[in-house]
Amino acid sequence: MVYIESWDEFVERSVQLFRADPHSTRYVTKYRHCDGKLVLKVTDNRECLKFKTDQAQDAKKMEKLNNIFFTLMSRGPDADIAEASGKEQAEQQPAKKGRGRRQ
Amino acid sequence: MVLLQPDPFLSELTSLYEKNLESGSVWVTMKRSCLKTKNKREQMEKEGQKIEYKCLVRATDGKKIISTLIAAKDQLKFQASYATVLRAHMDALKKRERKDRKKATEPAKKPDAPKKRVPVKKPGSTKV
Repeated sequence: MVYIESWDEFVERSVQLFRADPHSTRYVTKYRHCDGKLVLKVTDNRECLKFKTDQAQDAKKMEKLNNIFFTLMSRGPDADIAEASGKEQAEQQPAKKGRGRRQ
Repeated sequence: MVLLQPDPFLSELTSLYEKNLESGSVWVTMKRSCLKTKNKREQMEKEGQKIEYKCLVRATDGKKIISTLIAAKDQLKFQASYATVLRAHMDALKKRERKDRKKATEPAKKPDAPKKRVPVKKPGSTKV
């Protein structure tokens, strides 16, 4: 069981692992509120990659990884990882429109 | 093992998180699945039938197990709702306090600004 230090390395290797064997690869999340710990695991039953953290910032990164895996799993391993599309959706909300009431 | 629709699954998942605040863990597993045995799959492939895959999501707190299947068309909606549930419950994690890394000139109290100020990131591993 390998704990990976770098988040980016974890993401890249997990995606590689999934693409190599989409049938057996699974992504597991374990959260303990009492300890404030989050552990992520990606395994294909041969190799296992893990990442643990207690940082709130990593929860945000994990959300992105969740999106990546959802896309890969429901659409197929060849799906384009639409990391950008998640952000685009958020940016679509108009922040301010200048057409306010003028007095 | 209870198989639910996506929306009831999310409600049950919320209650799992809430039940396990004081102690216990919540595991969520995601896997690609077509719910057919290997032989049936191979048979279908030989016949040229297109196999539809879904994303199987399971959650448990060690005692209760719930699961749901997400097809590609439900994926975005479920993804967004799931992210909301997670964000609402995973608040026990430590906020970014890098006082020991910052220089003494920096003000001590800094609200959690999600800007990339310091490029030096401590890897998220705490040796217990």
